[in-house]
Amino acid sequence: MTTTTEAPLREPEVVTTEWRPRIVAFLCNWCSYTGADLAGISRIQWDPSVSIVRVMCSGRMDPTFVAKAFSMGADGVIISGCHPGDCHYQEGNYKTLRRVHLLQRLIAGFGIDPERLKLVWVSASEGDEWAATANEMAAKIRDLGPLEVRR
Amino acid sequence: MADNGEPRVGVYVCHCGFNIAATVDVEAVRDEAATRPNVVVARDYQFMCSNAGQDLIKQDIDELGVNRVVVAACSPLMHEPTFRAAAEEADLNPYLVQIANIREQCAWVHDDRQAATLKAESLVNGAAARVALHEPLDPMYAEMNPATLVVGGGIAGIQAALSISDAGNDVYLVERKSTIGGMMAKFDKTFPTLDCAACILTPKMVSADRRDNLHLMTMCEVESVEGFVGNFTVKVRQKARFVTDACTSCGECLNVCPVNVPDPFNEYVSTRHAIHKAFPQAIPSTYVIEKQGSPPCMEACPIHQNAAGYVALIADGRFEEAAKLIRKRNPLPFVCGRVCYHPCETACSRGKVDDPVAIRGLKRLAMDWERENVADPEPPPAKHDYTEKVAVIGSGPAGLTCAFDLAQEGYQVTVFERHHKLGGMLAVGLPDYRCPPEIVERDLDYIRKTGVEFQTEVELGKDFKLADLLGNEPGFGFGAVFMALGAHRGLPLRVPGEDAEGVILGIDYLREINLGRPQPTGKKVAVIGGGNTAMDVARTARRQGAEVAILYRRTADEMPADLEEVEGAIAEGVKFDYLVSPLEVVLENGRVTGLKCITNELGEPDESGRARPVPIAGSEHVRKFDMVIPSVSQQPFRTWYKGGIPEKGQIGFTKWDTLIVEPDSLQTGVPGVFGGGDVVLGPASIVEAMGQGRRAAEAIDKYLQGKPLEDFTTHVAPPDPVRGFVKAPYEHGPTYDQIEKMPRARLEARDPRARLADYETVDFGLTEEQGIREASRCLHCGVCVECQSCQNICPPDAVRLDMKDEIVELEVGQILVATGFKSFDATRMTPYGYGRYDNVITSAEFERMLNSTGPTGGQILCKNGKPPRSVAIVHCVGSRDENYNRYCSRVCCMAALKFAHLVKDRTDAELYEFYIDMRAFGKGYEEFYLRVLDEGANVIRGKVVEVTPAKDHNGDGGHLMVRAEDTLIGRFREIPVDMVVLMGAIEPQPDADKVGRVFSLSRSPDGFFLERHPKLDPIGTTTDGVYVAGCAQGPKDIPDTVAQAQAAAADILGMIAKGEVIIEPVRATVQEHLCGGCKTCLSLCPYTAITFAEDGNNAVVNQALCKGCGTCVAACPAAAITGAGFTDEQILAELDGILSPLAQEVAT
Repeated sequence: MTTTTEAPLREPEVVTTEWRPRIVAFLCNWCSYTGADLAGISRIQWDPSVSIVRVMCSGRMDPTFVAKAFSMGADGVIISGCHPGDCHYQEGNYKTLRRVHLLQRLIAGFGIDPERLKLVWVSASEGDEWAATANEMAAKIRDLGPLEVRR
Repeated sequence: MADNGEPRVGVYVCHCGFNIAATVDVEAVRDEAATRPNVVVARDYQFMCSNAGQDLIKQDIDELGVNRVVVAACSPLMHEPTFRAAAEEADLNPYLVQIANIREQCAWVHDDRQAATLKAESLVNGAAARVALHEPLDPMYAEMNPATLVVGGGIAGIQAALSISDAGNDVYLVERKSTIGGMMAKFDKTFPTLDCAACILTPKMVSADRRDNLHLMTMCEVESVEGFVGNFTVKVRQKARFVTDACTSCGECLNVCPVNVPDPFNEYVSTRHAIHKAFPQAIPSTYVIEKQGSPPCMEACPIHQNAAGYVALIADGRFEEAAKLIRKRNPLPFVCGRVCYHPCETACSRGKVDDPVAIRGLKRLAMDWERENVADPEPPPAKHDYTEKVAVIGSGPAGLTCAFDLAQEGYQVTVFERHHKLGGMLAVGLPDYRCPPEIVERDLDYIRKTGVEFQTEVELGKDFKLADLLGNEPGFGFGAVFMALGAHRGLPLRVPGEDAEGVILGIDYLREINLGRPQPTGKKVAVIGGGNTAMDVARTARRQGAEVAILYRRTADEMPADLEEVEGAIAEGVKFDYLVSPLEVVLENGRVTGLKCITNELGEPDESGRARPVPIAGSEHVRKFDMVIPSVSQQPFRTWYKGGIPEKGQIGFTKWDTLIVEPDSLQTGVPGVFGGGDVVLGPASIVEAMGQGRRAAEAIDKYLQGKPLEDFTTHVAPPDPVRGFVKAPYEHGPTYDQIEKMPRARLEARDPRARLADYETVDFGLTEEQGIREASRCLHCGVCVECQSCQNICPPDAVRLDMKDEIVELEVGQILVATGFKSFDATRMTPYGYGRYDNVITSAEFERMLNSTGPTGGQILCKNGKPPRSVAIVHCVGSRDENYNRYCSRVCCMAALKFAHLVKDRTDAELYEFYIDMRAFGKGYEEFYLRVLDEGANVIRGKVVEVTPAKDHNGDGGHLMVRAEDTLIGRFREIPVDMVVLMGAIEPQPDADKVGRVFSLSRSPDGFFLERHPKLDPIGTTTDGVYVAGCAQGPKDIPDTVAQAQAAAADILGMIAKGEVIIEPVRATVQEHLCGGCKTCLSLCPYTAITFAEDGNNAVVNQALCKGCGTCVAACPAAAITGAGFTDEQILAELDGILSPLAQEVAT
């Protein structure tokens, strides 16, 4: 039932050869993360290729996080914050909005389709909205295929 | 085991029963984690949150030297505190724990076990990588302010406020209405016990009023909240109540208020006065005046005359009071009742229905009534007894108003007039038929009673100089001067021949006639111009026996004269020639024989917006006249001015010779010398001149009292007087298109032929009956009409009509939001006919009907006043309906059964309940349902399709047919009834959105405020220190509301008892040696927590103000700012962990 590092590694049961898209989503703690939790509590299904990283505010989004995500192997990045006017920190989401517009142009310059970076507003009550966002992004990334540009 | 600082990570994967384990292969996750760097132990367990689960962690910390912990379980919003506490118990810093959320964001949302497992592994890898870089953090503590804010004065707010204050804490109970009590105060009985709502509520209300530490703040709304749990700063708008707490609730004011408006407390079924108390047991018991802005007529008036007030008094037949009210702000009421250009009528909202109220005619009626019925009206005594003297030059409307106001203030005022008749333009400019001398005299009499002295036939520049007035020679020695010289210099046409005999300027012509001097008039007179002066000249010349033509260069549409003056002129036989400009006065032997003119056409608009007249080449022609009277415009004379007063200053003039004055104070370049009226405005109207006289009086008072010339309070009419009140005269009032049209009273005019024989008034005033009817056309814009009746009668003098909103700042530690609900608007559900059929009513209206203080005194009556023979009660109106609200409003079934019981109790009516499902879920509810069934209520399971009017065999109207499917017998049914009660849904307040933002609350999809957890924390919110209770959080009945309020109070009291709050140490800090001093971060911080240290040339974060959002961290170009708990390194490590290939992928 328990194991420590000394225990032998299990043989992998499944070997996936199929491409597994990797999407990281940076969600603000107050609206979007809670919204995603609500999707969970409500058992609204969304695509498992999306993994969530929690930040306190979408305003915490350092542009390098996006660049690093792509260079570390992400095929897509979602940033989600509170709706304009609802920011827990008053206006952090507006700061993000500005940065994302700039970033999208920047990544395009590096040959990355700007659609691989998506900014959305999801409130704490919009579990369904979060699920739809994750699913749309996953579908989009599957269409676009693996990100070929790597450093 | 010794901790040498190297990270030793323990990973604990929770099964959460089947919750996680059913979808995620927890053993695989455990095994994957075991392969990660720094991971020294990985375990899985059924319930990590159990004591046994927590003990696993503690044990490993103790025995294996684990110094970083990853728990892969539910959301950190659930159990992060649990696991942090466990770590702390094992002497590990709680911030060295990281949660991987593999339940809400993995197991519960993915059905593919393989994919879910892989993702869970990634998430755990991310958490393990991240936690290795965690630093121990010390939580911050802040003092808990025990004062609490409760928002909403319904039963939830009252209950919580009582509980919290019981424990000895200060509570601020903020309610936006004039009384606490909320919705419950409107109910008659409560289900299922049939307790009288008032009997159980009012003791609580009274108790709330009596506590020293419970601060009732009615008519208040929270504007903003700043700070954090323990220390909030709240700004509250205290709306003006207009009645002070000196009010004894005697109700005398109710007898005098002339305004009646639909009463919101009675669901607009009955009416109440503008001054009112919501219901007899209202707390506080202080009355309140409802004012929704200011009446537009009053706002449009340059002297702020309370037109709506005297109109309302006239409608009530109270002429004497009306006249008194008029006189309060108008020193020339008789004049204004006849010749004011009435901007009030232009602004009047009644004009949006049909025609404006004849306000001027009503003023004339009130004043004429006073003349006939009040022997000798006396002005009020002067406020002060000053010795300072003020000189007013000119006795026109501006001068008289200024003199009157200053005399009432207590100054010694002398008015200098160059003519022998007083009144300025009123005497020498306006013909007697418009402004009869005895009328002017009547106003002057009243002004004289205030002690104003008049000196006639003394002229500035001739008999005395400006410097004399301010000098100390006998007869002078004035402290201030008001220059109200008027604009008496007519402007010539600037055409050849104008100097000839037979050409006289309009203003001169009128003056000569008015002063009774010999003034010949020709037989065929041309009057040039289209303003009121031109009309006055033309109609005067007609009375002198001449044939008169008005020549105007544009068309009738552009003519600036008042319509009634134009109509009067036409009736009196004045001819109008439009689109004509004079070119030259044709002379023969030095005498006028004609006027050479040119025809115009209308061109592009000029700067005044009127079409420019463009001469048509070759259209020159000569018209025969023997007299020409140019009446185009006027300017002030400036011949009196021989330079200023050397040691004091100079008076400036514009190019039109008007005085240059300070816009607010009206002071000229010479201190103590003020100017106003036409000499400043150019030729303007009487009431505009009066407005300036009033402002000058205020300025002169300030000047003489040595106060700065600022903060003026006298009214300035807005340039565009028609404002606000777009759709209806007041909120909840009928809209303009719903108001029945009613023709405006026309003043009877004398026969035009008779008029030409004398200079008597052209029209008769309104009769009292006409006046009362006309005044009743007033819509009472903004509810209170400011008639001041209540102020005059109030025994304890508690009415303050000039009260203003105030902003109050409160310091509180915690906030409870209990802002309640709104009832469904039944007009949205058109098939049920609410708003179209009289006897279809809402549950809220029925509650009031049942209440002994309601509109029917508790009797159940149809609109025709008869009790109903049958009543249908329709459940789920707007609830459980895809088109409106999907949720169940929870209280309607029981309320409907309560209604059924009361209908059975109070009438002999048959009763039908149409329900979808009967929800009798609470204690004693099912029993109550059975009791009502026993009482003979017919219950029909099925949704009502529609309500239609039905043929009534008894011949009285209002019979209705309810159509519904009876799903129990599988048949369509039609049931005739006299009354239908619609059980409307409970909906979020219409401004819940705004309130949510103020308090940083989220809302669930139904629009109600979102609780922190639907089961375990139904009162907390995502904002620490802010709680919700009652229907603001979701529909609920009174017992549930009270329970939730009590629960919130218990939480709040628990926090107060702790005395301090823990604040997450998630804060930004600047590493000073890295900061380049670019100041980028300074403007980003919404809390101004970042300042710039000039000495070190670096930014500094104030830890007390920082809330840890990390916006500055992200923006710092030098990466000099770190955000504790969310450093760049930690976030990137998590990212790397999530994205790095899994062991099994590497293996392939």
